[in-house]
Amino acid sequence: MTRLKTLLAGAAMLAAMGISAAKAEVTVLGWPGGPEEAGLRKVAEAYNAKASEADKVKLIFFNRDGFFDKLAADLAAGTTEFDVNLLATYALGRYAPFMEPITLPAAANETFPEKVLATMQYDGKQYGIPTDLSLHFMYYRSDLIEKLLTDADWKTTYGEISEKYLGKKLEPKGPDQWTWEDWMATALFFTKSINKDSPTRYGSVLQMKNLLFNMMVWHSAARAEGGDWMDASGAITVDSPAFRTALEMYKTLFDDGATPKDSTSYEYAEANAAFGSGQAATMLQWNAAFADLDSKEKTPAVAGKIGTVAPPTGPAGRFTHIHGLGLGINKASTHKEGAVKFLDWLATPEAMTIYAKAGGSPALSDAVVAGIVAERPDLKKLGEFAGAYGFVMNGGTAAKALQVYELQAKEFTAYWSGEKTLDEALAATKSGMAELLKQ
Amino acid sequence: MERQTILQGRVLITPLTAFLIALLGFPLLLDLLYSVSQVGFENIRAPEISGLGNYAKALADPEFWAAAWFSLRFGLIVASIQVVAGLVLAIFLAPLFAARPWLIAFLMLPMMVAPALVGLMYRLILHEFVGVVPYYLLEWYGDFPAFLGRQWVFTTLVVIETLQWTPFALLILHSAYAAISPDVREAAALDGATGLRQLVSIDLPLMLPAIGVTAFIRFIDSFRVFDNIYTLVGSGAGGSTTSMSIYIYQAFFKVGDIGLAVAASMLLLAASFVVLWTINRLTARREPAP
Repeated sequence: MTRLKTLLAGAAMLAAMGISAAKAEVTVLGWPGGPEEAGLRKVAEAYNAKASEADKVKLIFFNRDGFFDKLAADLAAGTTEFDVNLLATYALGRYAPFMEPITLPAAANETFPEKVLATMQYDGKQYGIPTDLSLHFMYYRSDLIEKLLTDADWKTTYGEISEKYLGKKLEPKGPDQWTWEDWMATALFFTKSINKDSPTRYGSVLQMKNLLFNMMVWHSAARAEGGDWMDASGAITVDSPAFRTALEMYKTLFDDGATPKDSTSYEYAEANAAFGSGQAATMLQWNAAFADLDSKEKTPAVAGKIGTVAPPTGPAGRFTHIHGLGLGINKASTHKEGAVKFLDWLATPEAMTIYAKAGGSPALSDAVVAGIVAERPDLKKLGEFAGAYGFVMNGGTAAKALQVYELQAKEFTAYWSGEKTLDEALAATKSGMAELLKQ
Repeated sequence: MERQTILQGRVLITPLTAFLIALLGFPLLLDLLYSVSQVGFENIRAPEISGLGNYAKALADPEFWAAAWFSLRFGLIVASIQVVAGLVLAIFLAPLFAARPWLIAFLMLPMMVAPALVGLMYRLILHEFVGVVPYYLLEWYGDFPAFLGRQWVFTTLVVIETLQWTPFALLILHSAYAAISPDVREAAALDGATGLRQLVSIDLPLMLPAIGVTAFIRFIDSFRVFDNIYTLVGSGAGGSTTSMSIYIYQAFFKVGDIGLAVAASMLLLAASFVVLWTINRLTARREPAP
């Protein structure tokens, strides 16, 4: 009841704020704070400089906390306070009933790779222009890996540890050649409690908090093992051997102490703090973390000593979860024509170049990246990885995809923390997903 | 004259009544409607009446009962510790407070921090690589417990809640202790009562109503805990730190099952009403007849 009251009070406040917002022709609700907001401000500035009075855009931002929940409530209430709003791949199905499908302008195909445009598609329709792409890098300490590949004693110990903990003697490899097993062996080798000569306390830092975003990170491993949410017939396949293997992988590393003992409360920030302290040798993390981790001011312990590759290879190949943020049109908008004009311009190489230079992370076609690669070298890798390894789980954009992530986060963390057995967690996940994803 | 007074009274009370009806009555009616409806964000403006299914769903949901048990256990443990700690501090520090009353304001400081910020603060303090607590434990003892791990998280949450809200208990119990007339204690002393005897036979019985009120307020506050737990560990690994408030929040916003969330909150409201009514009845019975 308290939540409902808060909701009603929030709606009343927004209605009051709307008195001033209504004066703008096209109001855009963006992703607040960080490089996305900085990028959108620059883009809007450039657009307004040449748009007619009637087509100018005005930006508004909520707080990030509970952003998608507040957005869902506003859209469901048929708000007209914004015409264009943020969209995310994993929430497309949730918002699609309240969004207006769009027709992509010709320039969009020149600006974005097809896989990236697909991150804004649901049920065969395009709902937005992708502005930012998120995927995963395997971060590693380049100085430590270099020594591991050359030091004979370390190589011997590596072989002994892999044999003892993984049941097979492995040889150290370069990170770009890692299988998930190689990564596990490396993580175990760089764990102080296992190898007293390890220069780091932990070999990795896993994000195991009961949080939907942590499932996205872990999915890169599950997919490489061949896992998917559903098969082609729509049957839930979450209890497949692939999911079991990937879940057991995290559990093994957690139980063997290769990740901090509080990892079941770790998410993005905690993991970055651990890796940034110089006490973790590897980390599977979002691409967005690179700039801060490589900054001498923010993380002097590891800056300049970080390498990044795509996540390791599994029996089914090499994969990284991808999802996009983008902008689409509110179905209840009263300025749809102006909104379409803005989005059409946003999909041009010109707009996306401005956006990227201001800090945004769009995944762009090779031709567009070539023009800004000197200023944003990370965007090259982003586009390459998205094109080569990007995947979205079958059902990952469904109306209840977010609930599926929530369910998995709850059940899988129950297994990792020892609250449930693997069979119990998978059985509960399977029945819950069948209910959520039923046609 | 009497009729005019009644009329004036009614006129004066009308704005407040209208205010309460608008502020509490409308949401309550809306909640009742949602609780018997199939409603999500998609049809929030046009819910479909579906009977008592949401109540049955909540009552049959093991997670609802797990959350209720978590809140009950947390509320009882935390309220008990806070009352005992507050009582001990109020009595032992009474001479100090009498000499330096400003110390009370100093001890109240933890209450001034928003619970959500307390959660964030402990996220930093307890973090292995940036937090001071693991750092010093590692320096001194070579190890530290996983404060937010499965084994320790409940204890950690109890300690955090106790550290923040014991000052509240201290404040009320200190006032109650200070309000006991010195004459009573003097008379007891003349009758030969020692310090411990005075405490057991004079002070504690006279403070009993204040102790009861403090325990009750702290229990309610801890039972409905949300902010500090949510910002610190969310709903916990496997939902292990899901309080009733977190359960309702998750059902509403995360799962989008608004009917279930509101039905759960109505059940909570009904349970609270029964508890309040019972306490009211018990209190009324104890009061001597005029």
